[in-house]
Amino acid sequence: MTTIAVFQEARAQQAAPLHLDGPASPAPWTRYRDWNRATWDNYNTLAQRERTPKALGKPLDVATPIVGDAKKGQDLAFSRARGGGCLACHVMGPRSLEAPGNAGPDLSEIGDAGRPDDYLFNYIWDPRHLNPDSAMPPWGAHGFYSREEIIDIVAFLKTLKTPATFRNTLDDPAKRPLPVENRDALDPFVNPAADRIDTGAALFAKVGPSGKSCASCHADAKAFAGWAVRMPKWNAQAGKMMGVEEFVFRHAKATTGADHPMQGRENTDLSVFLHSLSNGRPIEVDLTSPDAKRIYEFGKVLYDAKIGQFNFSCADCHAVSKGGNKWLRGQYVGDGKGQMDHFPLWRTSRGSGEVWDIRKRLQWCNVQVRANELPPEAAEYDALELYLKSLSQGMPLTAPNIRH
Amino acid sequence: MADDIKPRIRVPANPKKGEVIEVKTLITHPMETGQRKDAAGATIPRKIVNTMTVTFNGKPVFQAKLEPAISANPYLSFHMRAEESGTLSFTWKDDDGAEYKAEQKIAVT
Repeated sequence: MTTIAVFQEARAQQAAPLHLDGPASPAPWTRYRDWNRATWDNYNTLAQRERTPKALGKPLDVATPIVGDAKKGQDLAFSRARGGGCLACHVMGPRSLEAPGNAGPDLSEIGDAGRPDDYLFNYIWDPRHLNPDSAMPPWGAHGFYSREEIIDIVAFLKTLKTPATFRNTLDDPAKRPLPVENRDALDPFVNPAADRIDTGAALFAKVGPSGKSCASCHADAKAFAGWAVRMPKWNAQAGKMMGVEEFVFRHAKATTGADHPMQGRENTDLSVFLHSLSNGRPIEVDLTSPDAKRIYEFGKVLYDAKIGQFNFSCADCHAVSKGGNKWLRGQYVGDGKGQMDHFPLWRTSRGSGEVWDIRKRLQWCNVQVRANELPPEAAEYDALELYLKSLSQGMPLTAPNIRH
Repeated sequence: MADDIKPRIRVPANPKKGEVIEVKTLITHPMETGQRKDAAGATIPRKIVNTMTVTFNGKPVFQAKLEPAISANPYLSFHMRAEESGTLSFTWKDDDGAEYKAEQKIAVT
């Protein structure tokens, strides 16, 4: 080791001062004002994984042959109003409209597939006892559709006997071009998040209530090159894994006295700035220390945990063996690998310039599967962030980036 | 707040004489409408950039009047013909009387 390396090693082992009293985000946590306001208290969250009612484990009795209103069934299957509709994941014959997805099997000829009526009914009501690996939500058991509505949907399925045809390649999920993001993400004229690098740098130099700024101790911010790509990291003093954003809050509060709670504007700006200093560096989170190993394993459990009214796990949509690298209607859902090399980012689908860190994105995923989200510093998000980052290990950081 | 306000200019540095160039401007500014309320229910006072002017070698080439409906960090761009070398001067006028300025030289080839 060179002298400098020895010095850096010694300094790294000196615990950074941390403000450890209380939460790192506004408490009690309340959801962002412009998000869906509903709560799903009867279903699993990442923290409460025993809430969802157990599956019945046997088929419901239903009179066969099933006679329902196929037209009503089609309307339900195609409507986005209730949980996204069947077209979100399934191609459903020549009448499939609005760019169907392909995360689930093509149902265009399900009416000729020899499935008994009560099997179809029960598969939609709750597929878990018929196929334990199914990613499909228990549409009946979790209250999305009534018994009568599912009977109508089965009547519609029985009419599907013709392979799908598509008007153009955009409608066909097998041929639809994959989204490409190759804009110059570091140009503020292109990416509003890039503008925040400078705002973050100004905050870094700003003197806090204690009379010090970040720069008082960290004279050369460039020394942070390679820091953000090693986060989240186990912090012995806090007894928890910490990502960039929680560390920024707790360390700034203890040193400069500045109050930058997670999900506040300043916290995100500093996160953007600190991440940008590691651009081009490969992600290399620690996965070898006993604490990291333990939390990595917990992250893996959470990745497979079924949560929310939809009863989805991360893996259901992102594992390549399931919904990963496939389409949910017109949205391409990427593999778990490669999700962590571009945060924080500008979400083009959210307002005119919302910049999100990874914790807000995880909260959004939770709400999208209709599970109550957790506060951003929750240990479950620490573990999930570590596990997801491990999937992107070695990939160069490109932050702040742009995603839809 | 004022230290957060930062103008940015993007112009081709060496256009050909007579070429039509695009001048892009972006200023980091909250553009507070005066319609919003803070957590305590008090109105957040209006603070917008209300005027933006651009001159080239002292002659006006572009002017815009901005209203509260314009989003934060207004991005304005326009085209001009580059007939001679010189300096583009940009001025944003804030409600509070502050002026933010930027300059950009171009040299025609």
